[in-house]
Amino acid sequence: TAASARTQFSGARASHRLWSSAPLCATDTIFALSSGQGKCGVAVVRVSGPASALALRGLTGPDRPPAPRTAALRSIFHPQSKEILDRGLVFWFPGPHSFTGEDSAEFHVHGGPAVVSGVLDALGSLPGLRPAEAGEFTRRAFHAGKLGLTEVEGLGDLIHAETEAQRRQALRQMAGDLAQLYRDWSQRLTQCLAHVEAFIDFGEDDLIEDGVLDQVDNSVAQLQTEITCHLHDGRKGERLRSGVQVVIAGETNAGKSSLLNLLCRRPAAIVSPIAGTTRDVVETCLDIGGFPVLLSDTAGLRETADAVEQEGVRRAREKVEQADLTLVVVDATQLPTDPLQVPVFLGAHLLAVLPHGVGLEESLRHCILVLNKSDLLPVEQVEKTQTFLNKNPGLPPASLLSCHTSHGLENFMTSLQSRLSSLCGDPLAGTPSLTQARHRAHLHECFQALGQYQQYRDVDLALAAEGVRLALTGLGRITGKVGAEEILDIIFRDFCIGK
Amino acid sequence: MLARRVLNRPRSLASPSSWAASARTVTACDVIVVGGGHAGTEAAAAATRVGAETLLVTQKIQTIGALSCNPSLGGVGKGQLVREVDALDGLMGRAGDWAGVHFSILNRSKGPAVWGPRAQLDRPRYRQFIQAELLSMPRLTVVEGSVEELLVSEPDPEKPGKHRVTGVRMADTGRIILARSVVLTTGTFLSGSLFMGQTTSPGGRMGDPPSGSGLSRSLKEVLGLRLGRLRTGTPPRIFKRSVDLSLAQLQLPDQRPTPFSFISNGTHCKPEEQLPCYLINTTPGVERVVRESLHLNSHIQQDTRGPRYCPSIESRVLRFPGRQHQVWLEPEGLTSDLLYPQGLSMTMPPDLQVRLLREIPALRKAEIQAPGYGVQYDFVCPTQLFPSLEVRSAQGLFLAGQINGTTGYEEAAAQGVWAGVSAGRRALSLPPLSLSRTQSYIGVLIDDLVGRGITEPYRMFTSRAEFRTSLRPDNADLRLTLKGYCDIGCVSPRRYEEAVRMKAGLSEALSALQDITLSPTRWREKLPQAAVSANKSGIMSAEEVLQYKDVSFEMLASAFPDVLGPYVEFAERLKIEAMYRPHCEKQRREIERILQEESLSLPQDVDYLSLPVSLSQEVRELLDRVRPATLGAASRLPGMTPAAILHLLNYITRTPQRDRSAERSSTPDPQNLSDESRDSFPCVPVSQ
Repeated sequence: TAASARTQFSGARASHRLWSSAPLCATDTIFALSSGQGKCGVAVVRVSGPASALALRGLTGPDRPPAPRTAALRSIFHPQSKEILDRGLVFWFPGPHSFTGEDSAEFHVHGGPAVVSGVLDALGSLPGLRPAEAGEFTRRAFHAGKLGLTEVEGLGDLIHAETEAQRRQALRQMAGDLAQLYRDWSQRLTQCLAHVEAFIDFGEDDLIEDGVLDQVDNSVAQLQTEITCHLHDGRKGERLRSGVQVVIAGETNAGKSSLLNLLCRRPAAIVSPIAGTTRDVVETCLDIGGFPVLLSDTAGLRETADAVEQEGVRRAREKVEQADLTLVVVDATQLPTDPLQVPVFLGAHLLAVLPHGVGLEESLRHCILVLNKSDLLPVEQVEKTQTFLNKNPGLPPASLLSCHTSHGLENFMTSLQSRLSSLCGDPLAGTPSLTQARHRAHLHECFQALGQYQQYRDVDLALAAEGVRLALTGLGRITGKVGAEEILDIIFRDFCIGK
Repeated sequence: MLARRVLNRPRSLASPSSWAASARTVTACDVIVVGGGHAGTEAAAAATRVGAETLLVTQKIQTIGALSCNPSLGGVGKGQLVREVDALDGLMGRAGDWAGVHFSILNRSKGPAVWGPRAQLDRPRYRQFIQAELLSMPRLTVVEGSVEELLVSEPDPEKPGKHRVTGVRMADTGRIILARSVVLTTGTFLSGSLFMGQTTSPGGRMGDPPSGSGLSRSLKEVLGLRLGRLRTGTPPRIFKRSVDLSLAQLQLPDQRPTPFSFISNGTHCKPEEQLPCYLINTTPGVERVVRESLHLNSHIQQDTRGPRYCPSIESRVLRFPGRQHQVWLEPEGLTSDLLYPQGLSMTMPPDLQVRLLREIPALRKAEIQAPGYGVQYDFVCPTQLFPSLEVRSAQGLFLAGQINGTTGYEEAAAQGVWAGVSAGRRALSLPPLSLSRTQSYIGVLIDDLVGRGITEPYRMFTSRAEFRTSLRPDNADLRLTLKGYCDIGCVSPRRYEEAVRMKAGLSEALSALQDITLSPTRWREKLPQAAVSANKSGIMSAEEVLQYKDVSFEMLASAFPDVLGPYVEFAERLKIEAMYRPHCEKQRREIERILQEESLSLPQDVDYLSLPVSLSQEVRELLDRVRPATLGAASRLPGMTPAAILHLLNYITRTPQRDRSAERSSTPDPQNLSDESRDSFPCVPVSQ
């Protein structure tokens, strides 16, 4: 009988079950901004999950629920402060007739950043709601069987793009004081968990005294205070500027600052023929073809003994890592005259400039090559090289241009704008408010879990430890995961385990 | 009943002569298990329980079930494993109840999820129990001898793997034994060498001959498996009469011993006959002797990875100098005149060992019966195994125990049970199964081994189990016994019926508790001990009241004798269930998500490097190297991206299996569609 029982667990059927079953983890309700930025007068905030109706009532009041799948004009207010955030259209999509198959709601509000972050904040303050993880809406739709085969094809790439955008956004957010703060909390919490775990797994051993737990009690209480203060601090850390983050990078004296000046049509950066003129990051806000862009010029990348320039190079590399799009500037006069040698030359160049951490393939997708100083090349070489580059698919889009004469600028602007329009269509790139909402949600999770530690500290240490573990998981969603092995490493570092 | 079994040595007791007589002839069985330690005995027993004709090959029948290191069983994390092995009808728990001479629950004050049932054992009794069980087991034959090599042939093209193991050749007689599955549990005997002072000798355990080097060669050169090297050690054994126990601190057992097994009525040892342990501390003199003898201690100078827990006294004082370190003196048995100094494993020359011991006041006149020594041995990198513990590249070959890089009797037994189940099922053409890490410590152990590999001897800790509040020692029967009977086929009807009765009793009692509802005021009148807060509003169920720290089920039962009286036998388990239920409910969601991902098997022979799916080169290489068995395992790999998981999910759900089979072998797949899924997947998770 065991054999016949087993056959129904064949992989094919199991996967079929999953394909057609209810959405995974259906009990959480998620929300996210699902429209792009720039050029959009209307922002769409989408909610999905069982608490969607609650969200709708919370933000628009208990009366007059909108008819299913019909636009209704409502005042949208913060459920706690009752402050009016905006007046906009709301939609109610009861499951299963919705994009995700779950109960869903949409808020179509004015596209300004203040309104959007107000709505996101308001949703985050409701019980049972949390910001969506990368690709979560589409994943739910996928699991509900709501996507056709062709849509599924593109889904992986979409999630990939969202994850990447979030990662870069997080990197930007994490640069600076906030990062230091989260890292510090994460370290202290990891230490707390390690010590509780040591007490549980090795408490019968020598040299792990009850004192260990008293230290944990103090740390947990301290962390709770700090997290509450942080959550109630109106300043919310550094104000992050919206926009697609475009970084100009390359070797010294390739003409990076000239490109910046060309793009903003004013001498924002000092240019000179001396290599190493730009030593710090020069930032400027631009509107390129209607898209908000935060353009940064960076120090030329080269080995240097100069301490100031070294720091400039370090900052430049950091910027490139955080960028949504990198313009790699190359001095065209250095190009080999034989076009066949050009790809190898440019490949080596890209390797030197782009970060390797996420994989080169990934970096290449977020890059445009700018071959500057074309005015110094013979006309026929320019033409030959451009033709060759246009049909070389192994390289990122490349434009030959002269910052000096503006020759080739039009061609470059076309490829830049096409990249920007696809980046701006991605609702996650460059929206600090969404990241902030996510951080707040995870910090809140962390705070509540620490309460579980205190509640069970003297009743059941396994349940108390569970609280610290959940707190670390919450924080880990911001700072990165902490695994069981790391906990064990701390245990063996701090205690002599003898038995 | 136990006593009768031990006394009436049954017929199959070691008639190795009949095997030896037929030297050079070829015989056959379903499963061969090589090795008679904790992994081997459980594997052999489990394979026979599943229904396979099994042969256990061991160097000496006499040492089957020997406790070669510490005379104890269980502990924090390890105790959970013992309970789970027992829930799958293994031997270890019952053997512990039969042989235990000092029972205690560790972590009693820290919450039932992390309680650690533990016992000191009488060595001969433990051995006798295991031998009596095995030697009377139907379908199991035990033979003395050592295996010289594995017989390897062309693989079955329908299944993953480069080779197929078809049996073994014995060392001395050259006799060939064919089998559909072979389980290797050779412990530290794989290229083992013993260290003491500056001398080194081949072997896996002092007093036993080294195994032939043929097996090592079979694994490394013929099958091409990656091996690593680890080290461990054991302390000297001290004559009890030479110890001044008045200078040691007495450690008493629990007054009411708790048995390991779900089906033991009690422990064999009477509560009042239990033996104590003793606690002593090291002195600065101990550290001095260690430092002075370092140049004479080649084991310590080697850089082979040893365990960070259970370290030698040398590593303890070197890593944490200037401190006192605890040493437990543990009884070796009821009639033994020896003490086992837990925490003093050492590898210096024997005269220095005596000098070191005598630096401790209670051991000032200590005499040793046998010196401590170190062992270095080969292990097979366990990432080369399927979750069924079958070697990925060698069909029919299963590995369990220290050969997979673990340490400890309990870890070995846990793998043994599962390797035995898998080997038996394979021999009987039943599909392989896997245990989820969301359901058992055995699942955590195997998933960690095959999914992540090891860098030091692997020992179980409760902190390794994400869902530890659900995987408790008290509920191992509910988690495993029912499945063990219905799906796995390794549990006897008697044990199954007991588990069914328990499950029904607990759920009836829980609904009875939920049905009793009173206002807080009424609760305060009815049960003043409960200290129900006056500020509490609404009505409360008896289940909620049972969650209070000072409320026991017995109290509730005396307040409501008619309704709750019938369930008093489940009192302790009900209290625990009530405590944990809200948390387990929360965990269930996460567990269900993981189980869903784990129910999606990834084909094992797929070529990730050329798979027509959008994956980055890094992810392709990672998948190619690790070859996760399920989507769940893939998503736990460091370096996996959500997008890659989705692409894989899409690939599995979209690609019909026939195409996938075709991708891995160029020969057309002759299997008919309805049957193919059974063989093309390495493991099917045990149903929920």
